[in-house]
Amino acid sequence: MSIVTWDDEELFAALQRAIRARDAVPAEFVDAGKSAFAWHNIDAELAQLTYDSTRDADMAGATRAEAASIRALTFNSANITIELEVTRDGLVGQIVPAQVATITVQSRVGANASVAADEIGCFSIRPIPASPFRLQCTTGSGIEALTGWITL
Amino acid sequence: MRDDPSVIALVARVCDGDQEAWNELIERYAPLVWSICLRYQLGRQDIDDVGQSVWLLLVEHVRELREPAALPGWLATTTRNECLRVLRAARRLDVEGLPPEDQMPPDSVATMIEQEIIEAELNAALRLAFSELPPGCHDLLSMLLSDPPPGYAEVSAALGMPIGSIGPTRARCLERLRRSPHLAALGIQPGAVAVRETGR
Repeated sequence: MSIVTWDDEELFAALQRAIRARDAVPAEFVDAGKSAFAWHNIDAELAQLTYDSTRDADMAGATRAEAASIRALTFNSANITIELEVTRDGLVGQIVPAQVATITVQSRVGANASVAADEIGCFSIRPIPASPFRLQCTTGSGIEALTGWITL
Repeated sequence: MRDDPSVIALVARVCDGDQEAWNELIERYAPLVWSICLRYQLGRQDIDDVGQSVWLLLVEHVRELREPAALPGWLATTTRNECLRVLRAARRLDVEGLPPEDQMPPDSVATMIEQEIIEAELNAALRLAFSELPPGCHDLLSMLLSDPPPGYAEVSAALGMPIGSIGPTRARCLERLRRSPHLAALGIQPGAVAVRETGR
């Protein structure tokens, strides 16, 4: 079968499916993809979310209810891990392996604020940034890592 | 499909830093990423997470793609890996919690991915061909494609077209669509795409 041999009804049905497949995708999902291009000239590795206590607590049920009161997130890039905990009035985190780094909080509108991570990789950010935000980590050894957008 | 010239040209422009080309690429392939996420039964928040990872990985790696035309395959595989990552982040080592696809033999996953790619490429080519039809054809087919489908009397009134000419015009427009170079570039293999019942 090839498209040139499809009769009108087959072609019309295929076109209908194609249009509906596009219309089924929310505009915000497409827009988020378009705005990702802003990072094309940033030389950073992507640090991906590999653990989220909220999701874990959902799965584990009541036994994890207490632990879920503090949200913990883990991001992994090729070279570093960023551990993050959400406290009542801010974020505390650690870079693993431990090292001095600059942590920059980026908001969707482009406003940035930086904090320093000490020699054991610990840092704190106060207050809790407005969601969504992402963290860019620049280590003393020159590693650049960027998390995905974080919504708390 | 592997040497679709329009994809090769788009990727080349993206590598030159062309935001418009990137937007076209996203519009073309967002449905592919989205539909694979649905296959893994992810919720909306997880789909957004997968989406942003896939697009950022694409930003990071687009220059390294040896064959730009292999982009759809790269996107599909990356999306699948990201879906599994999200599921693992949620369920950690709970193997039982992984979706059926992940427990299937690798061949089944490969088949699912391949079907999604073929479908996405066909759909993208059809949409592109459709967008390039003359305005008269585009308006008529757009109206006929709406859900629920309008009656010919309604179409006639809306487009100022005699009822008797709607059928023949529709046939002419579909013939123009069929001859679009975008569809010719697909090189769909015999039997590769099954035309499903749509319940019209």
